[in-house]
Amino acid sequence: MTEARTLKIKTTLARQMAQPGGRTVADIERRANERLERHREDVMITVAGTVTELELVAAAAAPGSEPQVYSLASNLLATAGFFDTGPLYEAGYSLCDVADRMQTSGAWSWPTVAVHVQAMRLILTGGCKADATSDALLLGLRSVAAKARQDT
Amino acid sequence: MSAAERVNLEQSTVLLIDDNPQALDMLSSVFQGFGVKEQIKCASATEGVRVIQNRAVDLIVIDCADPEMDSYAFARWLRRETPAPLRFIPVILLTGHASQAKVQEGRDCGVSFVVTKPLTPAVLLRRILWLAGDEREFVESENYVGPDRRVRNFGPPLGMAGRRKDDLSAHVGAAVEENMDQSDIDMLMKPQRVAL
Repeated sequence: MTEARTLKIKTTLARQMAQPGGRTVADIERRANERLERHREDVMITVAGTVTELELVAAAAAPGSEPQVYSLASNLLATAGFFDTGPLYEAGYSLCDVADRMQTSGAWSWPTVAVHVQAMRLILTGGCKADATSDALLLGLRSVAAKARQDT
Repeated sequence: MSAAERVNLEQSTVLLIDDNPQALDMLSSVFQGFGVKEQIKCASATEGVRVIQNRAVDLIVIDCADPEMDSYAFARWLRRETPAPLRFIPVILLTGHASQAKVQEGRDCGVSFVVTKPLTPAVLLRRILWLAGDEREFVESENYVGPDRRVRNFGPPLGMAGRRKDDLSAHVGAAVEENMDQSDIDMLMKPQRVAL
């Protein structure tokens, strides 16, 4: 076994950031949030489109289309993850998790997918707000996910 | 991190790699807000490889699930296949959901940080500030190349609160009192009879 070598490194990023100047944290955060906010509307349209695609895939339940579920749910997280989409993100994450487990184990369950997608649609229709309805939906998804974990 | 603290990214070039075009645009907007000198956007990790081979960059932020080369494979390539100082470039890996197969890869691929979504500019900025004061040593071994993963042993950078309540900084800091005389030190070391 070769011995590990450790090096003390000062990166160019560290050197540059140590220079005087720049902006305050408050200013930088405000600027970044403002710029990010400009994307919100487009992202929510994309997210709604992705949920529709998931509904179609889940309704068809076609053999061989299982990997599409993880791929679509993962795409949803990639964009929705820049905004506070609270319960929708949590439902999407749960779908990714169960899809990954079911695919790895080979114990695929379309009803598990369908219930996630239905919950995501309801949360999206409710404006992605965390409230009693979304809490109840997420609670249900957690039970479904726990069952899926047991089965895989 | 106080709101009045200053952050200087005006001289920094950032490489952003994301295979989701919309996410790449949003990442780019965030870094515009951070005031970086330049940002290079790539839609795939293989494109990122070409950039690294031809351009100097100071920070890499990657979220890529392309089977040809994903974020983890890119980080391994950077850490193992490139010469210094390229291999030392800080890498922040963004992820929505890490599949079971990728969790261990995330730990072992040598990135500076794995940041999970949901993501806010504040979270990303905190990680960049941490990297600026990162005192972790760079480890090169047969099984791992990258920043030392044992953050706990070295503590957080000076002036930054740790993520755990018992994190202490490795910095001893400058002396604030006069040095002790040798005779005082000797007295401390000298065994003394104690009446019991």
